[in-house]
Amino acid sequence: MSLAAVVQMLLSGLLMGLIYALVAAGLSLIFGLMDVVNFAHGELLMLAMYATFFLWRGTGIEPLLLVPVVAILLFGVGMVIYRTLIARALGVRANRGMVQIFITFGLAIFLQGAAQFAFGGDFRSIGHSLLANRTVAFAGVYLPLPQAAAGVVCLLAFAALLLIARTEFGRALEATREDREAVALLGIDRDRIFALGWGLGAASVGVAGAMLAGFYYTSPDVGANFALIAYVTVALGGFGSLAGALLAGVLIGEVEAVTAQLFDPSLKQVGVLGVYLLVLLVRPRGLFGTL
Amino acid sequence: MTRLVLAALALLLCGARAEAADVVIGAIFGLSGNAAQSGQDAKMAMETEAAIINDAHAPIPMLLGQGGGLPHMGGAKIRLIFADHEADPQKARAEAERLITQDHVVALIGSYQSATAATISQVAERYQIPFLSVDNSSPSLSARGLTWFFRTSPHDVMFTQAMFDFFKDIGAQTGRPVKSVALIYEDSIFGADSSGVQRKMAAAAGIKVLADLRYRANSPSLAAEVARLKAAGADVVMPSSYTNDAILMLRAMHDIGYQPPAIMAQDAGFIDQTFVNAVGPLAEGAMSRSSFALDAVASRPAIPQVNALFRARAGKDLNDMTSRELVGLQVLADAIDRAGSTKPEDIRTALRATNIPGAQTIMPWRGIRFDQNGQNTEANPVIEQIQGGHYRTIWPADVASAKPVWHVGE
Repeated sequence: MSLAAVVQMLLSGLLMGLIYALVAAGLSLIFGLMDVVNFAHGELLMLAMYATFFLWRGTGIEPLLLVPVVAILLFGVGMVIYRTLIARALGVRANRGMVQIFITFGLAIFLQGAAQFAFGGDFRSIGHSLLANRTVAFAGVYLPLPQAAAGVVCLLAFAALLLIARTEFGRALEATREDREAVALLGIDRDRIFALGWGLGAASVGVAGAMLAGFYYTSPDVGANFALIAYVTVALGGFGSLAGALLAGVLIGEVEAVTAQLFDPSLKQVGVLGVYLLVLLVRPRGLFGTL
Repeated sequence: MTRLVLAALALLLCGARAEAADVVIGAIFGLSGNAAQSGQDAKMAMETEAAIINDAHAPIPMLLGQGGGLPHMGGAKIRLIFADHEADPQKARAEAERLITQDHVVALIGSYQSATAATISQVAERYQIPFLSVDNSSPSLSARGLTWFFRTSPHDVMFTQAMFDFFKDIGAQTGRPVKSVALIYEDSIFGADSSGVQRKMAAAAGIKVLADLRYRANSPSLAAEVARLKAAGADVVMPSSYTNDAILMLRAMHDIGYQPPAIMAQDAGFIDQTFVNAVGPLAEGAMSRSSFALDAVASRPAIPQVNALFRARAGKDLNDMTSRELVGLQVLADAIDRAGSTKPEDIRTALRATNIPGAQTIMPWRGIRFDQNGQNTEANPVIEQIQGGHYRTIWPADVASAKPVWHVGE
């Protein structure tokens, strides 16, 4: 294997890994905040991708510029989901865990069905944009620009999330996670914090979806292709840890690339899950887990 | 959701037409799930053919093209009940059983994914109901000694034979023969069967297989797989992939600056208009085997009218899959008509006696005649190439509408 091929492999793994990380960040945030596993996370990604596609097709605006629009849109979607469904699920007296699993799982199936009804089953792609299908070559190594841009945006999004964690709101998030009852005594509206947390989680998957739409295909069940990896990323990085999600995403991207290169490519998820099992044996709470 | 709506529609239709002795056929396709579009397209193809058989319209120059129902059955209408297998073999089994026991269909037709045809055909065998496979291409389906299984479409051995025959022809014509190939295929029955045949035929033709890559379908990325193809550097890349993976694969090739001298696809994703729309110029020059030639109008005069009817429903042209689905229903309806009965045993006897010349259909085939395994032996495939953003038939010469563009060995 030539040096260029090795660099190419690691680069592909890194770029994919950053996307995995950002998809997982939103999931991690919501889980860390209120112990709710969002099974509709992949479908939020799907919605973001469709939003990007249709905004691009309708307005002709460069997809890169649509990222903040889609993020705000998904922020709203996240808030609405919390207010209409999750808040109620958290309010039930018995089997709260089961109810929230079924509610988000049901939401996932509903959103998939609704997308198919509204948009049809066809695979949609953003055909022309500033970056679409453009690459930069250096010494036999190719850098696809849409993926590179996605990587940069992903890092920026992580930086933003870490900054938010240091604000007043971020500390309120942290405090609410630590002790729900105590924050209520301090006059912090727990419900409002949770709703904003859901909004933020959905917005980060919105950013990932908007970037992904630039080089991946969009279809009603595209979320499923990324959801499993997102759950593994969160568990591997440690529940509720943003830095953990970033590192775990990149790690998974690289493990996938190396497994596919060295073994039967159909086994690449086996490599990923193998690493996860290994981490689970040695460090059950994940690489950066504190919970 | 879709199923509920369909069930409601089926109920409505039952009520409305209770007096007519309709011939009820169960059609099983993946109407939702990962390959939903292919299932929805199949549904529209079936509905188009049912309308051609049932409705009054100007005659179309093909078998059962006169309209007004089945002539030998007092103008009985074909009624389709659709079921959704969601591309899941277990759901396909359950849906087949439901159609037979609850809807009392007289025959089954389906089903796109070969893995679902495998379970449907088992149910059909058990209940002794004919199952007509219209678009499944795994050779193993017709090699299991089933007696209620019929397949109008060519299978992957016949399709792959056409590819290697084409390689031989074009090598002799240009003096630049294929010396090596790279196989890349998805990890279900379709990819496994297709690549198995390709491996054998390459060996028989003295062509080296430089890469043999099985990948996971619906992957988030095919970058590593494609990097291995690039490293192998074969004359022809031979993918067996569904639409989403085909899109990803060509993009990944482009991303690492890899353009193989030739791509010869096992149909499926590579023959889907969605694929061409998604990858645009990246698909230029890609070849695929096919069993339909939209441009073979001279020898198949029914194509323009049938295509116009399909287009009115689906908003796109007939392609390799939808044409085979449409013709499958035509063949099944003809057998029922000749049987003059809706008893499954009579339909099977009529199917076995089928002998339709190709010109009575829209396919470029020699015709339709089933062997003892239920396989149509007269379905000779064609090779198509994307030229100027459109599929053009390039082989065999008698139905070709364009010359092949051949970069191997340059």
